[in-house]
Amino acid sequence: MRFFLALLIFFGILAAQKPKKESVSACDDPLIKLAQTKGIKAVPLKDIRRFNKLLKACERQGGKEEIKQLYHEDWQRDYNSARRMASWTSTHAMCVFVSFGYYFAGRILATTPSS
Amino acid sequence: MKSQIHVLILSILLLGGSFVPAQPKLSIDLGIGFYEPTLSGFDENETVQFPTKGIFNRNLLLNWGIYYEFFSNARIGYNSFTSYELGKDILLLNSEAIFRRSINYRLFPIETFFRWRPKIELNFTLAPIWGRGRIELDTTPGDKTEDWNFFLNSFGGSEDPVKDMGATDVMRSDWYGYTGMLGFRYYISSRLALDLKGGFINNSYKEKKWRVQRQSVTGPKMKIDDLPIFSFKVVYGLR
Repeated sequence: MRFFLALLIFFGILAAQKPKKESVSACDDPLIKLAQTKGIKAVPLKDIRRFNKLLKACERQGGKEEIKQLYHEDWQRDYNSARRMASWTSTHAMCVFVSFGYYFAGRILATTPSS
Repeated sequence: MKSQIHVLILSILLLGGSFVPAQPKLSIDLGIGFYEPTLSGFDENETVQFPTKGIFNRNLLLNWGIYYEFFSNARIGYNSFTSYELGKDILLLNSEAIFRRSINYRLFPIETFFRWRPKIELNFTLAPIWGRGRIELDTTPGDKTEDWNFFLNSFGGSEDPVKDMGATDVMRSDWYGYTGMLGFRYYISSRLALDLKGGFINNSYKEKKWRVQRQSVTGPKMKIDDLPIFSFKVVYGLR
């Protein structure tokens, strides 16, 4: 039995293969793809460290332009979604602006009534 | 049945997971506020010697908040401005007390905004306020009632209002108010931003509406209505 086990281990070591290293580029990582499609804010907080490492790795692997584009698109995505006030938000903003103006104009122009 | 529950849990997780990237943004912020109240109940009190007024215990407010972007141009959230004051060895009738005072302005803002430039945002905030004043005294046990009455009498109102004291020696007051602010936000990165706001704060505070141990008492005179307020904070987008 002992001999059989030793033989098994011996042939196991002999026949062992080095696992094939996956040649996946950092730029093709699902996290980078997620940031490209849904924006950097879609990357979960717990993966931010890994995401930053992936960005650096991708840059080192020649994806500098790709990363630059990722940031640019993220800015543009946010900018395009919020560059104009949609629906009721402009009315709200106007209400705030008017109350703000009314308050500060009152502070400047109001006079205390004489007793 | 047990396996069906597992399938249900797994399906909920998978379905929930698929919604996650599409969720609106959630952000937290931390900063300071600045305003100029007149706390004459403390500053002009001739009976009790309160800590000397200064920027830190009068004008400076600690500010934190959490916002949820529920629309492409609007956020809703909670924001808190708190003013603290701490004094040791406050000489009362029978003891040298430790005095702690906080004024907390709890805001429930609706903030609308637009991006003027890719990195610059202008925002407009309107919020109801639920304010709370809190004064805590650590007095020598046994002489609590006398000390508290001495303290409360210094603010005026009826003479010796507290008849019986238990273990809690805190007085509180709640009030409502509103605020309007205009803000400027500069995005350092798509998650991190600096936010500067200016506006006014209006509180319906009444000194007669304090309570201690469920008994109504008169608190300090404070002028906290019609005040300009400014805030500066760092905002971090979680999602």
